[in-house]
Amino acid sequence: MKAVGARLPRYDGLAHVTGRTTYVDDVRVPRTLWTKALRSPHHSARIASLDTSRAEQHPGVRAVVTHEDVPKNVYGHLEALGVPGDEPLLAEGEVRYRGQPIAAVAAEDEATAREALELIEVEFEEREPLFDIRKAFDPGAPTVHEWGPAFPHFGPHDHRRVRKGDVDAAFERADTIVEGVYRPGAIEHVPLEPQVALVVPEADGRLTIYSCTQAMYFSMGVVAQHLQLPLNRLKFVGGTVGGGFGGKVDTASETIAALLAVKAGRPVKWRWTREEEFLASSTRAPWHIELADAVTKDGWILGRRTLTLHDAGAYTRFSSYGLTKHAFHHSGAYTIPNVHFDGYVLYSNRVPTTAMRGFGVTSVSYAVELHMTRIAEVLGIDPFELRLRNANRIGDTTPNLVVLKDPSTVPVMLAAAERVGIELAPEYRAMTSEPRSGELLPEHLAGAVSRTNGKEAG
Amino acid sequence: MNLTVNGVEARLVSPPLASLLHVLREELGVTSPKAGCQQGGCGACTVLVDGEPRRSCLVPLATIEGARVTTVEGLGRPDDLAPVQAAFHEGYAAQCGFCTSGMLIAAHAYVERGGTDERGAILEALGGHICRCTGYAKIVAAVSAAARGDVATQAVEASYEPVPGEPEVLVKGSPA
Repeated sequence: MKAVGARLPRYDGLAHVTGRTTYVDDVRVPRTLWTKALRSPHHSARIASLDTSRAEQHPGVRAVVTHEDVPKNVYGHLEALGVPGDEPLLAEGEVRYRGQPIAAVAAEDEATAREALELIEVEFEEREPLFDIRKAFDPGAPTVHEWGPAFPHFGPHDHRRVRKGDVDAAFERADTIVEGVYRPGAIEHVPLEPQVALVVPEADGRLTIYSCTQAMYFSMGVVAQHLQLPLNRLKFVGGTVGGGFGGKVDTASETIAALLAVKAGRPVKWRWTREEEFLASSTRAPWHIELADAVTKDGWILGRRTLTLHDAGAYTRFSSYGLTKHAFHHSGAYTIPNVHFDGYVLYSNRVPTTAMRGFGVTSVSYAVELHMTRIAEVLGIDPFELRLRNANRIGDTTPNLVVLKDPSTVPVMLAAAERVGIELAPEYRAMTSEPRSGELLPEHLAGAVSRTNGKEAG
Repeated sequence: MNLTVNGVEARLVSPPLASLLHVLREELGVTSPKAGCQQGGCGACTVLVDGEPRRSCLVPLATIEGARVTTVEGLGRPDDLAPVQAAFHEGYAAQCGFCTSGMLIAAHAYVERGGTDERGAILEALGGHICRCTGYAKIVAAVSAAARGDVATQAVEASYEPVPGEPEVLVKGSPA
């Protein structure tokens, strides 16, 4: 414990300030080939024909790969956890987002690889894309996947559900219903280090993979599945990441580089340009969140109805997981005894979305906090007081029935009020996280509080 | 073509329009300048050319025949850091480290020119250098410390010696 509170130098600090940290792009291996990918110029199109023969014959080109070269082309990032895969490594038959890789070339240098891309002949039949997920269920809306507009594998449902208490009764009893629509947008991570991988075929038949991934064992599993190789044929070298923020949880460059390295029998590096990062790397998802709260005029939230639409982009990746976290956190840092939540993961012809700093939770927190302030405005109540009254206490239960042992809402709100110089009334300033009683335990919350105040979870 | 890179003379065979960044990284193996955007937009490739900070991705080799080029490798070594390097290390101003080389070069040029710890002037000197780990506050504080000369050029060392009698659990009721 002596490290807690001590001022220790960063273990990698000296290397950083002397320019000696070795990132993937700094690794030098003789005879390394350069990679360029042919990416879809269309948001949605059928691939009518694909011919790489001229590119293969171009001087200096050592390997060209398409979907035909991938042992298992369709896989999913959560397939190991039982979520069916839906994403091809290289597009086969159709493209679903602009920038989707269709073919890749490994050549002696960058310029040759770029020239070879020009020699790949591909014909598209362009289709109308879907960008607005609110229109996904409309009759005649463009189709992204043949199975329907939504991710269909939430148990027996095509959406994530949370049901707790009696929401209809709460809305009957309410003095006011406060509604709001919140739409946090997509965000590109923009790590300073663009996506990059270096794959070296070793003499013993193994592949050494220098990776910028944030998720080594995820990436190892993804490469092993697509290439249908046992894990002991893959040696991952990683841990030095030039910024990720969630964007490097996806296995974006390693697998295609590995495929090319195997085919060429040479080391292969694939470093994306900044333009490719913005065009084709995954983003934080855009969301559409509708909230309706049943509230009393003295500032209690009796119930909440939620409809959430999550824009996955063209493929699922981690979206179903993100939506599940979103569902569990949809009452925010507050206790709401009656909730009814429906959340859909919908597909669009945008770039696939992925992890980014608390994804799923940040979107719903944004919506909930704006909504709390809206409720306070509608009721004419101080927004701090509204939050403090409804704030989680020890023994309160979350929408997914977790009994809280150490909620932090009250001390955080009190500290925030103090720091920004807001003068709270004495009864609010005296509040703590202790189990509800007296005025803080009105009738509508009686059934929502654990009788043992969470102590059984000890 | 000839350059002096970190005090060492180099004869180069790259084409005249090759970027200085490419020459440093791919021909000379000097990898501290990073290819963050290769469009002059991020600052991670910044080096000193005859003492002036330049975006090496935008400098064609032919335009700097005979120049003196300095990268972070040429500023100081782990046991003999330049003031800005020591300040960044002490002040935790490098997180992922990818923007750090460019930041250090810009900061070093600023301090060498006699730049002060005035915040506005430091922000001006670091203009166009992007950090996405959002370490700007610590970076500006480190440059400010270097400008004041408020740094020890010998880096702090961590001690991992056990402390006798240290309790296992410091917080009552901790599950640890």
